[in-house]
Amino acid sequence: MLPPYVYLILNILVNFAVFLIVTLSLNLETGYAGIPQFGRVLAVLAGAIVAGAVPGRLIAYYIGEKWGAEYANHLYNFPIVDRINREILAPNPLLSIGILLFTLVVAAIFGGILGYLSSYPALRLKEAYLGITLLAFGDALQIIGKYWQPLVGATMGVTVPDPYRCIGIGAEKTIGATLIFLGFAILIYLFVESLGRSPFGRALKAMRDSEVAAEVYGKNIVRLRGWALIIGGAIAAVGGALWAFYAGSMKALTYDRLTWTFWPWAFMMLGGTGNNFGVFVGVLIFSTVRSLIYVYKHALATIIPIKPAWLEYILVGLVIVLISLFRPQGFIPEKPALSVKRKEIERIKEAITSKKAEA
Amino acid sequence: MSSERRRYILETKDLTKAFGGLVAVNHVNIKVERNKMTMLMGPNGAGKTTFVNVCTGVLKPDEGEVIFDGRDITGWPPHDVYKAGFVRTFQVPEPFLKLTVLDNVLVAIGNKGENPFRGAIKWLWIREEKENIEKAFKILDAVGLADLWDRQAFTLGAGQLKMLEIARALATGAKLIALDEPIGGTDPAYANDILSYVKGLLKIWDVSFLLIEHRIDIALPFADYVYVMDRGKVIAEGLPDEVANNPKVIEIYIGE
Repeated sequence: MLPPYVYLILNILVNFAVFLIVTLSLNLETGYAGIPQFGRVLAVLAGAIVAGAVPGRLIAYYIGEKWGAEYANHLYNFPIVDRINREILAPNPLLSIGILLFTLVVAAIFGGILGYLSSYPALRLKEAYLGITLLAFGDALQIIGKYWQPLVGATMGVTVPDPYRCIGIGAEKTIGATLIFLGFAILIYLFVESLGRSPFGRALKAMRDSEVAAEVYGKNIVRLRGWALIIGGAIAAVGGALWAFYAGSMKALTYDRLTWTFWPWAFMMLGGTGNNFGVFVGVLIFSTVRSLIYVYKHALATIIPIKPAWLEYILVGLVIVLISLFRPQGFIPEKPALSVKRKEIERIKEAITSKKAEA
Repeated sequence: MSSERRRYILETKDLTKAFGGLVAVNHVNIKVERNKMTMLMGPNGAGKTTFVNVCTGVLKPDEGEVIFDGRDITGWPPHDVYKAGFVRTFQVPEPFLKLTVLDNVLVAIGNKGENPFRGAIKWLWIREEKENIEKAFKILDAVGLADLWDRQAFTLGAGQLKMLEIARALATGAKLIALDEPIGGTDPAYANDILSYVKGLLKIWDVSFLLIEHRIDIALPFADYVYVMDRGKVIAEGLPDEVANNPKVIEIYIGE
């Protein structure tokens, strides 16, 4: 057994990792490209569904277990996945890694496809109307996942094969899985940051700031918006799949729009939109506070007059209201992202302005 | 046709655009000669900006044709018009507010790294980026914005935003640039400097200008050929002197 503070730290880290991934994807679409993405849950849920439905079935088929509609029936599902974990994944680290990566790729593809499909309404609708449409998409998929049993077990959910079982069981598995999760989150952070500092990120911001000027200066708005939605959807789906693997089970019910759309919005607004480091800070603050509330809920219950569980909701609502009122740019406002080092730019500038002064 | 094509970079034929009952651009035929500064003047509400919007694809025309560089570009979306080599500035500046002055210009120049697959890998676009930065500073220096390169556009004053509009358009290296009231709201000495600079570019670049202005006192001396619009129609055209003495033009500018 590990001391309790280690569990607290692991809890903070894993919350931080998953919401960093999801909020970065939201920031790419909303902060950079200016799309009101109120349906973030759609791609997250798609990724989780892939993790719940695909790798288990593949292995079940391979070992001669039920892999069709019955796979998602909880009467069969639990024993099948238990056997997969014990007999196939636990003794096979390479296969486990392969299954993990393969599932993430499939999840990214599905998330990307959903993002691409979302770009159709994004062409015709603007702002609030688009936001509502995307929100409805997210809810629609949740309803399908919640009631169509053959997919991922409807209300009973499914057990997700455990690619971390090869690390062990108990504390070392929790630590390993958390660190791997964090590793993915950092990779994704570096990826979106390099995109953000590239001409692509700059074009997205230009489109956000003035659509008509971006078009006149050669930007294909339809294509740019499509790319933002595809990449954002793919990243969010990877986050959803990693979360389902980490949790070890997948219930569509738990992928609600409060947790996977509005929370990321609050994190992004708190940290600062259009700026990945701001998102990093916002998610870190929130994950810490949420984990603290969760861990100390019994202590809190004796000093506050409401259920501690409500604190999280109150906190999110309060942050959205206060940030919009007093600091709409967030803790860390968007700063110009230089594509080339400042020194290098100054050097080019000197060379040109001094040449002219001589002439 | 081929000699026509060689002589004129832009030609509109019966171009028409109506908003409900208001015909903002009414069967307009305008030709812009290559390597010249063609001026389109007229009082407020004459339809000058609508004309530019229809030519550059910001608005779709109801009737007529836009021939650019020998190609029919009628109804093309703006980003295709840009690729063909035709850009315009905005009368009311449309800067990318949170981007720096330099980035505003770099967006206008464009870079292959705007494709996300290339964008993620820096060495695929960094060389082009550095060349573009050089290009951008040459223009920024000329319009007096070089020292403000790292300022976000929303911190600029009205006159500086006007210059940024011009800088973005010039940096694209387009074949035809429509300047929509580029000197509106700037002081006469500054306006003179800018127009002299722009006019000077005709000698060193393969570029043509369509200058939209209503400040004829400052702009007319720079024009090679002038069209006058009023209430959606072209009412006069000719060399600057002819137009300045045209009774119809005097009437709309000074009154009867």
